[in-house]
Amino acid sequence: MKSSIATYTLLVALVFSLLALGQRARGFRLPGDQQGYEPVQPIAFSHRLHAGDLEIDCHYCHSGAERSRHAGIPATGTCMNCHRFVTASWGAVREENRRAQREERPPRRLLSPEIAKLYGHLGLDPNGEMGPGSQASPLSWIRIHSLPDFAYFDHRAHSVAGLGCPTCHGPVETMERVRQQESLSMGWCVNCHRQTRTGIQGAPVEASLDCSTCHY
Amino acid sequence: MAGERTRQAQQRNRRNGSRFPGTASPPAGSSGEHEELAVGRRGFLKAAGFGLMLAGCRQAPLEKAIPFLIPPEEIVPGRSLYYASTCTACPAACGLLAKTRDGRPIKLEGNPAHPLSRGALCALGQASILGLYDKWRPRNPRHQGQDTSWEQIDAQIMERLEGLRRGGGALRLLTGTLNSPALEAVVKRFLAGFPDARRISYDPVSRSAILDAHLQTHGKRVLPRYRFDRAEVILSFDADFLGTWISPVEHTAGYREARSPDVETPRRCYHVQVESRLSLTGSKADRRIVAAPHEHGPLAVQLAAALADLAGESFPGEVQRNEGLAQRVEPLARMLWRARRRSLVVSGSPDPAFQTACNYLNELLGNYGRTLELGPASRQREGDDGALAGLLEELGRGEVGALLVWGVDPVFELPLEGRWETLLEQVPLMISLDDRLTETCGLADYFCPDHHYLESWGDREPVEGVLSLLQPCIEPLGRTRPLIESLSAWMGDSRPAYELLREHWRSALFPRQRQETSFDAFWDRALHDGVAQIEPESRSFSEARFEPRMFGDGSREVSPAEGEFSLVLYPKVGILDGRHADNPWLQELPDPISKATWGNYACLAPLAAEAIGVREGDLIRLGAVAGQGPELELPVLVQPGQHERVVAVALGYGGKATRRFAGIGPRWLEAGETVGNDGRVGVNSAPFIRLQARHLVYSGVPVRLSPTGERRQLARTQLYDAITVPASLALPGGERRPAVKEVTWEELFDPHLPVEPGTHSEHGSSQDLWPDDHPYTGRRWAMTIDLDACTGCSACVIACQVENNIPVVGRDEVRRQREMHWLRIDRYYWGQGENLRVAHQPMPCQHCQNAPCETVCPVLATVHSAEGLNQQVYNRCVGTRYCANNCPYKVRRFNWFDYAHEDELENLVLNPDVTVRSRGVMEKCSFCVQRIQEAKIEAKRRGVELRDGEIQSACQQTCPASAIVFGNINDAGSRVAQLAQSARHYRVLEELNVKPAVAYLKLVSRPDPQEEGHG
Repeated sequence: MKSSIATYTLLVALVFSLLALGQRARGFRLPGDQQGYEPVQPIAFSHRLHAGDLEIDCHYCHSGAERSRHAGIPATGTCMNCHRFVTASWGAVREENRRAQREERPPRRLLSPEIAKLYGHLGLDPNGEMGPGSQASPLSWIRIHSLPDFAYFDHRAHSVAGLGCPTCHGPVETMERVRQQESLSMGWCVNCHRQTRTGIQGAPVEASLDCSTCHY
Repeated sequence: MAGERTRQAQQRNRRNGSRFPGTASPPAGSSGEHEELAVGRRGFLKAAGFGLMLAGCRQAPLEKAIPFLIPPEEIVPGRSLYYASTCTACPAACGLLAKTRDGRPIKLEGNPAHPLSRGALCALGQASILGLYDKWRPRNPRHQGQDTSWEQIDAQIMERLEGLRRGGGALRLLTGTLNSPALEAVVKRFLAGFPDARRISYDPVSRSAILDAHLQTHGKRVLPRYRFDRAEVILSFDADFLGTWISPVEHTAGYREARSPDVETPRRCYHVQVESRLSLTGSKADRRIVAAPHEHGPLAVQLAAALADLAGESFPGEVQRNEGLAQRVEPLARMLWRARRRSLVVSGSPDPAFQTACNYLNELLGNYGRTLELGPASRQREGDDGALAGLLEELGRGEVGALLVWGVDPVFELPLEGRWETLLEQVPLMISLDDRLTETCGLADYFCPDHHYLESWGDREPVEGVLSLLQPCIEPLGRTRPLIESLSAWMGDSRPAYELLREHWRSALFPRQRQETSFDAFWDRALHDGVAQIEPESRSFSEARFEPRMFGDGSREVSPAEGEFSLVLYPKVGILDGRHADNPWLQELPDPISKATWGNYACLAPLAAEAIGVREGDLIRLGAVAGQGPELELPVLVQPGQHERVVAVALGYGGKATRRFAGIGPRWLEAGETVGNDGRVGVNSAPFIRLQARHLVYSGVPVRLSPTGERRQLARTQLYDAITVPASLALPGGERRPAVKEVTWEELFDPHLPVEPGTHSEHGSSQDLWPDDHPYTGRRWAMTIDLDACTGCSACVIACQVENNIPVVGRDEVRRQREMHWLRIDRYYWGQGENLRVAHQPMPCQHCQNAPCETVCPVLATVHSAEGLNQQVYNRCVGTRYCANNCPYKVRRFNWFDYAHEDELENLVLNPDVTVRSRGVMEKCSFCVQRIQEAKIEAKRRGVELRDGEIQSACQQTCPASAIVFGNINDAGSRVAQLAQSARHYRVLEELNVKPAVAYLKLVSRPDPQEEGHG
């Protein structure tokens, strides 16, 4: 009798652990696979707004993609090309203007909390001036798309071949926070290199399958 | 930043796969803490296994991407920038292009626009970049050994100098060769501010005798510019001009030009080398005359007398008729006479009388103005031994109130029985201004460290009228200050070096040029090109005149008595005077001739070693005959081609700086030390240098050798010396291995003696084990190495090491044949005595079409690419080492350990485009595939075709003799394809039918031009 209770208990336990394992197996991934990685960045920069709504070209900020191996994260100064003037949302600015008109005073310069962080890193005060004693400090973004160090990926070769950014990065213009769309695994790379042997958008390309294309 | 990341990530990766030492954890995965139960072994193992599985589910650690705040205009992360500058590793001042990545230099390349070095660098120049990232380099000014600030040190020094100005004794500035116009101008201004101030310069390996001889014979203390490129007969008395003498890169390029069989009008220069040991230059000579140091003088004098006869003049010096010698020099004299105006006689002797004889020979032969020029003359050495002797006397009399030292280290380089140490201690004010901690610095009151040359603005004038500019390639890493700024600061002028330099160029140099109308344009052009040509200062020379007294009494060298040996101290390629002996790359660079690394040794001729009963690795004691004097203990190295009565020892070893190498190399159970019992690498042989009749003398001291009975095994990279198979093993007709092939000049140019072009060998088989299913329709990379051009200088070995992140393994690992160099240079001997011949054969991975390594790899970690490369995939390699065992060329290198990359500063030199390999992985030459990829992608981006010569492997780029050609052999117009048609073209071990992509061009033997009755 005792043993049968033990057996049933064990069986139930087994079923539960199998279920638990099954749950886990669905989330199983190979080491280094960061597909779906969507970390919180130090500044809540919205690609949906910049690349989607405002239709800023990817290359405006990631200017290395056509010139260098790395697409690059834009220098903080690049943001200031626009954000020297664009300091808060249009709605907030309009509201402030209306209020200023009502109160018969010049409108105040608004600075949204996220853009304020940007100003802080550059050591600027809310008016965009270098204050005395202000200290600039580098801005550490969290890297999302990262290949192992024995793999050498070159943005130039891919952008020259006519591959658009979304091929690897997904619909970034719809992402509020950037997420790694693809697995960026070797199998994923090689599959594409095999398929594009027939050409990209009708243009013949020569996607090498040699190991030393990426590994050296 | 991006490169920075790569580096940091590489380190992480190297520490073995520890990809998951979580610093922070992004989503997915969860902790396995609830698995912790107080259980026994089995439970623990279960938990551990489950934990590992969970670890597999976790994600890589948080990685940061940190962009610039305000980007510098020209920097694009991931792209290299090249800055033209000048190498100051030795005073030859070759031009270089510093490749910088994200603001830090990672590789030095030769500057093709430089008129002297013509796009090449030597091993020393290539390695000098490591000095920039040397953590032992001084960072702060020091007073009495304590770090201090520039303000404090300046105030104190200026106060003491003020006292000197008011009459507190003489001021002396002791430097090495200082051929920088801007710096010289500031030094002049500085010294003019004192009642008794002078600059004294000496070179640790002195060439003073050449200048002194010219002062006597031509009325001007000047070093000629030697034009080996114009010579048709070269006679060298112990001048190692391809290895260590004055300007090796420039001389090698010229030498190759004079001996090139591949140009439209082939030039066959004949080279005779008279020497007592086998030097790098001697190994390329068409004829070697082996003579002990004391025999050189009489030989030169006899030759001068014989030539005077031919010229119908009477020799002004004294000649003792010696029939034996006369007969020996007779053919030489005739050969030189036939090639008059196109011959060149050089000598490495530090004896002015000997150099006068050389001047006489060159004058008789009409070589001045042709193969050696006095205007524009060379400024690559200016040291004055006489002035040095004068300084020592002044110091002895206590007349020197202040001594400033820059660029030399007399305590180490010229101990002179410890005289410097006692004398320098008595100097009231001693200031050291070097860029590293020399042994002399230890005696200085103030140490004002200079920048590394890659951090500085500056200029050099290696040859009059040729200006070579230095520009900084990185922000200074420490609080150092260049000499030019220090001196001007003490004159109350606080301008930075950049302004001082520009000021001098504007006022003194710009008026002497003709190309540009505005100074800014001139400056910008010079900055871009790295060099500028100006009108040389006009110098007048008196007509050459020779008097009997100038020739001395024949020779100062004494012949060693029975049972004694004549000691020869020589500078070694890569180490020279020891200034860069703190560089691990240079320490591990095999000597081009002996193939020994890490330390010096006593070279003995085979007969001599037999006579005293020693063999390689036996420790012998080497002491002065008189009993008093220095004594050294060194391992023996048996050196064919050396004179029997000579023992040769390299200079530059045993310095305090080499103490840093204690502990270098992997630490494991059986690890052996790199340093000797005294904690240093090698033994300092400089105590044997004498100051004799106001000249430094390096050879000819008679010494006694006595075996100690102990042994110290040498770390040599090559243990097989002969190209011939021992008689006991050889099959008839197979006595000589065909790895190195030779063709005579006549065979090469005689249409009746056809040499089969291209690929043919005695045993070659057309049968192929493999189907011909790899057509290589696109590009196919190939390399050709010209054995006739290669001098073995080893610049390529270091260039490869820098480019490909090759680690240093230490003496003990080299001894176990585990060095990691991807490119080795095999050196082979054949022949006997004076007819000893030497071949240098650079041996990179041969990239065989039917590669034996590929067929045995169980995990396909080494496979062929569609462009003919033999690829090595590190992340796939599991380290079976089958490939290395199956490689007939033995070019594969295995990472037995995780080699040291703990030095964060030194890691800055790592090339971010090449993976740093971890333990258990095989590696080898990749044909610099990172350069191929870069050039291919860049050409694609620009929409242009890849041109031949656009891709240069690191070894090819730096080669002073242009011996290496790399390119696409499927392109019929490429140089490598053209060379494949050469009559000299062959492949090593062709009979194996592995079809290497690397081919060699045969050595050319040039018989004595006399014998065939030309002229």
